[in-house]
Amino acid sequence: MKASTHKKIRDISGTFIMTLVVAIVLFPILWALPSMFKDRSEIFELPLHWLPHEWTTENFETVFDMPDYNYLMSIGSTTLVAVVSVFLSLLVNMMAAYAFARIEFPGRTFFWIYMLSTMFIPGITILLTSVRVVSWLGMLDTIWVLIIPGVASGYNVFFFRQYYLGVPKYMEEAAMIDGLSKAGIFFRIFTRISTAPMVIIGMSVFMGYYNSFLWPVMTITENTNLYQIMQLIRTLNSRYTGRYGIVLAATMISLLVPFALYCFFQKYIVQGISIAGVK
Amino acid sequence: MKADGLVKRSLHEKLFGKNKFKYRYAFTGYAMIAPAFLLLTIFVVIPLGIAIFRSFFDYQAYAEIQKFVGFGNYKIILQTASFVHSFKNALLFAVVIVAAQMLLSFSFAHVLKNCHNRYGVFVRTVIYVPFLISGIAAAIVFLFMTNYGGGLINGILLALELDPIAIDMDTTWARISVILPTLWLGFGYNSLVMYAGLINIPKDYYEAATLDGAGWFTKLVRITVPGMVNYFLLTLVGLLTGALTMFELPFLMTNGGPLETTLTPVLYLFNNYRNVLQSSSVTIAGAILVMIIVGALNAGVFFAVQSKASEDD
Repeated sequence: MKASTHKKIRDISGTFIMTLVVAIVLFPILWALPSMFKDRSEIFELPLHWLPHEWTTENFETVFDMPDYNYLMSIGSTTLVAVVSVFLSLLVNMMAAYAFARIEFPGRTFFWIYMLSTMFIPGITILLTSVRVVSWLGMLDTIWVLIIPGVASGYNVFFFRQYYLGVPKYMEEAAMIDGLSKAGIFFRIFTRISTAPMVIIGMSVFMGYYNSFLWPVMTITENTNLYQIMQLIRTLNSRYTGRYGIVLAATMISLLVPFALYCFFQKYIVQGISIAGVK
Repeated sequence: MKADGLVKRSLHEKLFGKNKFKYRYAFTGYAMIAPAFLLLTIFVVIPLGIAIFRSFFDYQAYAEIQKFVGFGNYKIILQTASFVHSFKNALLFAVVIVAAQMLLSFSFAHVLKNCHNRYGVFVRTVIYVPFLISGIAAAIVFLFMTNYGGGLINGILLALELDPIAIDMDTTWARISVILPTLWLGFGYNSLVMYAGLINIPKDYYEAATLDGAGWFTKLVRITVPGMVNYFLLTLVGLLTGALTMFELPFLMTNGGPLETTLTPVLYLFNNYRNVLQSSSVTIAGAILVMIIVGALNAGVFFAVQSKASEDD
């Protein structure tokens, strides 16, 4: 009897705390959301009011009809860059991971340590000299400078290798008896059995590209069509100082892409954190 | 086709001799690591090499001269007040953020662990959401809330007939205005990592401890904490790296001010990469110092976790 009362109290207080935490976590976004529909005279009007007295779409019109920047083009190009990079990144890193997990070749340890150690180099350290390198390669202000330099990642190779080391070998042995080559095994079998890590890494690569700011700021300067979305939001924030209706509208629309992806893959991601966490 | 195969085999034998069976797929192996190897070399290793090289030379862009100066650039950057200041700020941010985030997420993970119904699934799904938001977008939302004229904070203060605060002008409030969004962005993710750690500890341990008459504190110290060492380490190093390389929030919220109280090393480096008055070699020397600190930290924890993981196997 006593134990069950105790459990009940714990359940109720737990539910209460969780509801409170969810409310706090969602509050900043929910608070800012209706202000996109407020007129510039109303947005900082006191006393505070959550919903606008008069709903207006003026802010959205401003965002979509800028003479010098194309907001939709920016969202589109950012999404395109992110999607292409996800596929390239999965291909390149999974291939390397498979070779490190399953194929013997001279110098394997050297190459492994070489790739692993790139993981510990912060982006800011090589920012300036990387810009120099991509400028030598003539990539500045092209879509390639946004995609290619971030495709290979020591961490992602490491992550997939760990996963592949746990795959039982009998699968490949059967396939080899059937005459499949090593590359064939990778493309026919290993890409099929790693859906969960592919979603987790794919999503993290997507978010890394979609939210990137420092790299596009340094490499996309003239070509405003390729302005990445976070870069554009920051530009709007300096241009429309204090006119938060416009800046918030631009910010909130930009969140739709990752939110939609998350809705689609959330099961994998929330469960996957336990895989990613332990490594 | 046949001839091709013959040429390949003989080359293969010539290269690997006795080990030709062990290394029979070596060419496939090299081909599969080649793209990742080349990309990392071109876009990470070469830029790092140039950066290290440049940090030892005095390089003036306008004069096109280079002179070897040894550790001279490092000496200059360590004597630059702003840079040293930025490190002190980062250290303060790191201490506050690591302590607060670890405590909050560890506590909340316990609440999540005790909830087995569908509401728990819902909560776990929702709290992750801020992790999808970039520092830039978060800064916009929080700038809107902390606006002097009629943002949420000052709106409440005025409604309570208190004086409004100029959050970006006050040194303490400016720091808080950078720390809070950081905690908000990472809270859900870190809670889920801690939650994953908690549910990985076998229930039997707790049951056995209860039978032996252990209280909650003994269980916490003797079972939970040792069982989660790896999760703590990973969270710790993630939070430390995040705090030491903080950039987007201070850049947009306060731009390092007031009086450099929210200036972080990365923000300092970013601002000075375009500074024509300071030799870029000096800034690069600063960037190498950031790598030494952050990289060593990460590498240390990484190998500690790896060696412990291999012990467990």
